[in-house]
Amino acid sequence: MKSKRLLTDFFRKTWYIYAFSLSFHLISNLINVFYPKVLGEFTDSLQLGELTRAIIIDYSVLLLLIGVGHVLFNGAAMYLVMYVGRKFEFIVRGGLFRHFTQMSERFYSKNGVGKLLSYFMNDVTAVRESISMGFNQTANATMLFIAAITMMLASGIPYYLILASVLPLLFIPFIVVYLGPIIRKRSLEVQEALGKMTETAEEQFGGIRVTKKFAVEGIMQHRFGRTVDQIRHNQLRLVRVSSFFQALIPFLGTIALIIALAFGGYLTITKHITLGNFVALTLYVRMLMNPLQQIGNVINSIQRSRASLHRLDELLSQQSDIVELDNAKAIDLSAGGIRVRDLSFSYGKSSHQVLKNIDLDIKPGTTLGIIGRTGSGKTTLMKLLLRTYDPPPGAILYGDTDVRELTLESLRSQIAYVPQDGFLFSTTIRENIAFFKRDTEMKKVESAARNAQIYNNIADLPNSFETRLGERGLTLSGGQRQRTSLARGLIKNAPVMILDDSVSAVDAVTEKDIIESIQKERKGKTTIIIAHRISAIKHADEIVVLDEGVIVQRGTHAELLLEEQGLYATLHAIQEEGSQHATGTSHS
Amino acid sequence: MRPAQAIHNWQADQKADPNMPEQKPQYVSAFRALSGYIKPHIWAFVGVFFCTLIAILSDLLQPFLMKIAIDDNLMAGKNDYRGLLIICAVYLGLSVSSFAFTYVQNNLLQHIGQSIVSRIRKQLFGHIMKQSMRYFDRMSSGSLITHVSSDTEALNQFFNQVLLSLFRDGLTLIFIIVMMFQLDTTLALYCLILLPIIAIIAIAFRSFMRATYQLARTRLSRMVAFVAENLSGMNLVQVFHQQKEQQKQFNERNGLYFKANLREIRTNVLFGRTFDILSNLSIALVTWIGGNAVLGQNLEFGVLYAFITYIRQFFQPINTITQQWNTLQSATVAVTRIWTVFESKPDVTDRESGRPALTPEKVKGRIDFDRISFSYEEGVPIIRELDLHIRPGELIGVVGTTGAGKSSLISLLCRFYDVLDGRVRIDGTDVRDIPQAELHRVVGLVQQEPYLYSGSIVDNVRMFDESISREEVIEACKFVGADAIIQRLKQGYDTHLSERGSGLSAGERQMISFARIIVFKPKVLILDEASANLDSQTEQLIQNALHVVSRNRTTIVIAHRLSTIMQADRIIVMSRGEIVEQGSHHQLLERGGHYRELYEHSQGHVAV
Repeated sequence: MKSKRLLTDFFRKTWYIYAFSLSFHLISNLINVFYPKVLGEFTDSLQLGELTRAIIIDYSVLLLLIGVGHVLFNGAAMYLVMYVGRKFEFIVRGGLFRHFTQMSERFYSKNGVGKLLSYFMNDVTAVRESISMGFNQTANATMLFIAAITMMLASGIPYYLILASVLPLLFIPFIVVYLGPIIRKRSLEVQEALGKMTETAEEQFGGIRVTKKFAVEGIMQHRFGRTVDQIRHNQLRLVRVSSFFQALIPFLGTIALIIALAFGGYLTITKHITLGNFVALTLYVRMLMNPLQQIGNVINSIQRSRASLHRLDELLSQQSDIVELDNAKAIDLSAGGIRVRDLSFSYGKSSHQVLKNIDLDIKPGTTLGIIGRTGSGKTTLMKLLLRTYDPPPGAILYGDTDVRELTLESLRSQIAYVPQDGFLFSTTIRENIAFFKRDTEMKKVESAARNAQIYNNIADLPNSFETRLGERGLTLSGGQRQRTSLARGLIKNAPVMILDDSVSAVDAVTEKDIIESIQKERKGKTTIIIAHRISAIKHADEIVVLDEGVIVQRGTHAELLLEEQGLYATLHAIQEEGSQHATGTSHS
Repeated sequence: MRPAQAIHNWQADQKADPNMPEQKPQYVSAFRALSGYIKPHIWAFVGVFFCTLIAILSDLLQPFLMKIAIDDNLMAGKNDYRGLLIICAVYLGLSVSSFAFTYVQNNLLQHIGQSIVSRIRKQLFGHIMKQSMRYFDRMSSGSLITHVSSDTEALNQFFNQVLLSLFRDGLTLIFIIVMMFQLDTTLALYCLILLPIIAIIAIAFRSFMRATYQLARTRLSRMVAFVAENLSGMNLVQVFHQQKEQQKQFNERNGLYFKANLREIRTNVLFGRTFDILSNLSIALVTWIGGNAVLGQNLEFGVLYAFITYIRQFFQPINTITQQWNTLQSATVAVTRIWTVFESKPDVTDRESGRPALTPEKVKGRIDFDRISFSYEEGVPIIRELDLHIRPGELIGVVGTTGAGKSSLISLLCRFYDVLDGRVRIDGTDVRDIPQAELHRVVGLVQQEPYLYSGSIVDNVRMFDESISREEVIEACKFVGADAIIQRLKQGYDTHLSERGSGLSAGERQMISFARIIVFKPKVLILDEASANLDSQTEQLIQNALHVVSRNRTTIVIAHRLSTIMQADRIIVMSRGEIVEQGSHHQLLERGGHYRELYEHSQGHVAV
């Protein structure tokens, strides 16, 4: 899927299906164009008085056969191509998902979920439509057009009559190509306005307490009313063009018919053509109206899908910036410590340095605490340790191996990571906790939940561990999510564990219990805890204080408190302000 | 438009209330309800009817005109070119008028439909906004949004598609039948036999198609949900090295969707072809019967030609009308749901008071809770006979564990709910005697999680009330200390905020809501403190802001961190809906009760 030739590859594999479909379209239309001719001949023999009962039955059966034959071949041709189109969608989406799983965090920081989803949905569908419906309609219309003209000429209808009658119809594709995009644009505007109204309603119902509290219902209602009026305005704007369009196409058809009637009629009267030919002509004109309109549609959709195809090809040719070396090693993380050597890092070439000259030595089995305010670089350090971003060569070493020389699997399966946001998937709680290995036995899942102080909350849920999250309603509170996510990390029982501010939404009492069980569980294993509250890290073997990307202090809790002018002591003072009041030094 | 629609559907499904019962359409009552909205437009509807009539004439008379042309002008021996030209002219006239009237009819109908729908939308929204909090507790905000957007949109489609099709295709069908009888009764009767067969096949297929379509839609929306979620959690998938497992799960969903699609294609192709074959069969039939009749000289050939063309035209409108059936059903359900919303009455209403209410400017801010009791559900008391009296200007801190009734207490003061027993008074006036709009101006609330509307910072502070000037807003922000934060933003006070992704931290959002209080000047302020831990610096900012805002106001702070309220005039400790302790920080510490326990927990001094 890495090549830039998504469609070419696909056609190479499926060309024979297209070939089949095309020949079916041809056969179907060859049969179809006999219909007016047969009716025309029927007319002629009637006029000449040659008609007998047997001939009538022949003609009826012939008409039926034409009808059925045309329909069957047409159906087969359409089904084949629609099938292929869906197959395309299936294959490309599978490839896209694989591609998504391989892309690094840098890619995700540049592309939002909405944008990526739009590749996944809109672009794939646009391409699919033009290679399936687009193909069908073009093939059908072209074949019909060619067959009909040939048939008319063969029946002896003069070319100038055909040309004159078909001429107005030839305008149809141009009109569709011209008006189609305008209609599409206006209809998108209607959708947008609708979306805007939904958003406003969502916002108002979500903030109903605030709105009521400030007694501004009137103003909010006015705001909502404006979005409703916008929908109405856009919808009427759309209908002005679309109804013009809807009226214009049949109008051109009738003009063509009138020409056929007047000119063809004249030629019939002057005996240039037979009445049968006249009848056939009018029927052919009617037959051609629809396909010509479809050709216009196809042109529009091909234009759109060309852009989509281009976007998809471009997306798929992007490479992840985190690449595993060919000779990457798998090593045991529990043996050696983690060393950070003079690490400086910035996200982009021109952006400022987030981390500057960081040096750390984490001995196996110890706990490191990292504290600092928002934006001090704590989380960036974690990302580099996990190699979701690439650190400079030689800056981060596990044991004696550069993190960049490790296989991603050995690195990530040996680190348990607990993110700050407590992101959970819409599946059962059990599967969420046992995320690293879905078939982990229940006992382990339960014990991890106990250690993360979430067991009781889960046991209270209707289906306990089998409760599905997310879908239709059931959600956990922020603190519960964090604790579940903690259980997901703990169950891995990994040599290294990283907690990124993982208990920030948990109340003080629970936080204390959690820290205790982490201490117990992680005894003898390396643990890195990031926090902005001192209570979460004061037990660590070493604490480093980060400020604006630099380690400004390091030591144990007790040592750091002694540095009275230090940031650590200041943070401690603010957070534990209460203790000063308690000693009765402040006001009464 | 389908892919975008799919994402939209998926989002709607996420919001939809699982408890919303599937409703059976109740056609009569639904359209009786609608009739009130339709009545003012009755003449416009008559106009639409006539426009449609003229619009379809050209299409319908075409076979008839051809018949005249063939039989009277072209058949052997009747070479009447003048007559033919007249027919051409008539046909041209008809098509020009058809062109014009189709245009007018479409626009007119849309105009009516849009007027009705937008009126309903506005009224519905207004009606929901008037409901009391109990209503919002009961209804998920998702289902309310569905009523306002999807249900009204279904109604819009009713006007847009169902009515249009009923007018146009219904009239066409009737017209064709009339024309057929006009041409030849016997042949027309033969053709009529087809009608029920076509209808039955169409309807049977429709429900089957709907089922396959629904299946595909559900599976698509599951797949989209899965992808969306994995995209947002991709770093976790990678860090846990679960790419393969997630790919496997994705392939499963993708495969299911593929299968549903194939089923949908098969059904569609099958239906379309069956219909076509039926149409061809009828033409063959007409040729056979009609041909024999022509042979017996009972029928002119032109009539046969016209019949064949009519039969072809016959199928289109039937097909379209059956397509509308589903839309009609969903529109009816939508109307029923909308009217259910209209029927609900707010349970907190303004009393028709003879007494003069409070003047917001003169309120002093004395608050009395006189032995109040309250519960959300019967038999589960939240607050029991609570008695609390607050002096004007006092700073009260309320603490207690989750479920102690702290939030309910302030909800009663805001009169989001009514007390079961006892009364809540402000300056001696029962809150139930104060019109809600005035009460809400007197009592201000800073919520635990401040709510931001999509709009600029200025508009968020003044709540879009343009009678409050920009200068006042800036003044207020300076006052609470939010100015420095706002100045740091690229667009300053014009920075666009929204509930999602405002770029402001929790603490900064709190500052915005403090500024709101300064601008709206309520005499009583309630602060429900954010429960999440804030950055130490931000916490300090908020402390300062609170200090400034509580000046000259009766202030009640619901605290999660004791540091906020240690300086309060009085601290109330609540447990199970009752006040168990009250006094100053020091008094309470000395007592060694609940408060002391809470305090020690927060300090991490608990003995292990």
